[in-house]
Amino acid sequence: MLTASLATQLNAQTRSDEEVAPVPLLTGSTGFISTFDGGEPHLHPIVTPLVLVPIGQRWVFETRATFETDMVQFPGRSGFHGGPVQKEVEYAQLDFIANRYMTVTVGRFLTPFGIFNERFYPIWIRNLQADPLILPIGIGPSNASSGAMVRGGFKAHPKFNVNYAVYFSTLSTVSPVDSDRFAGARGGLFVPAARLEIGGSFQHGLQDARSNAFGFHALWQPLALPLDIRSEYARSIAGSGYWTEAAYRLNQILFHQNEFRRTQVVARMQQYFVGTNAGDALEPANTKLFEFGLNYYFIDGVKASSNYGRQFSAVGNRNVWTMALTYRFVIPLGPTRSE
Amino acid sequence: MARRYIVVCFLGVMAVLVFSAIAQERADSTSAPKEAAAAPAQGTARASAATHTSPRARAASDPAEERALRLEGEKRFRTNCGRCHQAPHKFPPRVMAAAIRHMRVRALITDEDMRLILRYLTQ
Repeated sequence: MLTASLATQLNAQTRSDEEVAPVPLLTGSTGFISTFDGGEPHLHPIVTPLVLVPIGQRWVFETRATFETDMVQFPGRSGFHGGPVQKEVEYAQLDFIANRYMTVTVGRFLTPFGIFNERFYPIWIRNLQADPLILPIGIGPSNASSGAMVRGGFKAHPKFNVNYAVYFSTLSTVSPVDSDRFAGARGGLFVPAARLEIGGSFQHGLQDARSNAFGFHALWQPLALPLDIRSEYARSIAGSGYWTEAAYRLNQILFHQNEFRRTQVVARMQQYFVGTNAGDALEPANTKLFEFGLNYYFIDGVKASSNYGRQFSAVGNRNVWTMALTYRFVIPLGPTRSE
Repeated sequence: MARRYIVVCFLGVMAVLVFSAIAQERADSTSAPKEAAAAPAQGTARASAATHTSPRARAASDPAEERALRLEGEKRFRTNCGRCHQAPHKFPPRVMAAAIRHMRVRALITDEDMRLILRYLTQ
């Protein structure tokens, strides 16, 4: 009630002067990822469509699904073989933009714990194709929650913006839309002048062990360099760990500029420490992983990437090579000419 | 226990929201007279003012102000969108309007940033 009354009150102050009527979109990404994990080759085609339906001035319905398969070689058989295509609705949510401070979301949504799951997960966005080791911490089964969320971002001070998300997820055992019962919040500060964002997440489980999870994240893009630095830390009874990633765009090389400005070198270091209640999604032993990558952006939305990683673990060290081609598409589902 | 926790979480966020809104309103009201007296090089101040005016008033604004708003929109576009992904090419205005609404929810960009970025991307 408090949320609703505040939303209504602030709604009166909010301007709704979007001049251009949005059109429904089919967007998303597709990619072909080949991995050599400990010498074993995997072929991994993936399509992730996202349907975006703006409704009126303040509503948005959005849903994203994934269709993927993992093809491997079997002894005695030629070629690569995979099982059935895995299908998953990653999220299907209805957003109500109540005012400039608050958006209310209901349905199935990506759990806003840390930043990777919500913002860097799509294959055309991420700099390295492998998930961070700590990604499963705090995001629940199948990376999503079923329930409601209040979120927003606003200018809290002339020098910084505040963003937040508060959510509640209910228990669902229906696969593939399963989710755990928990409540949590994430907050962040973004300083535009420094291009620095820092934040933290907290989550309290409302089932089983009723444990807590927390984490911190930071993003920084120095003004003087085409460099992205990202980092996350997470801790729960499932384990703890961190990842730190730096990506440098070779804009400043003075020869072959057309090629080098499209090229990005990436390095990531991560570490995971097993907790008392680690699930199947996490590594079975303490693990360190170093990765180095090279990305090449052909045109907007088309990216080739390759990376090498060396994993050190008590259950065995191994090399991981990855090569991928990803494409981000945008297809309007209606007339695009403005009235 | 769980209900109390949820209520406390909501109350905490609401309190932060209310205080921040008050702080922002104060900042806007104190900066407005300074903006009026300042030289025309302050894209941010103009941007802030522009998001408080009607579309018709904006259309009637002078070319210098239009240029300042465009530059500010481009700056915010690079600052906000470039945090996570490569800056996309421009799409038709109605496509950009849908995408920016999605990104407002997903990336939690502010209302002012959304309007300036949309303005930049649809001109």
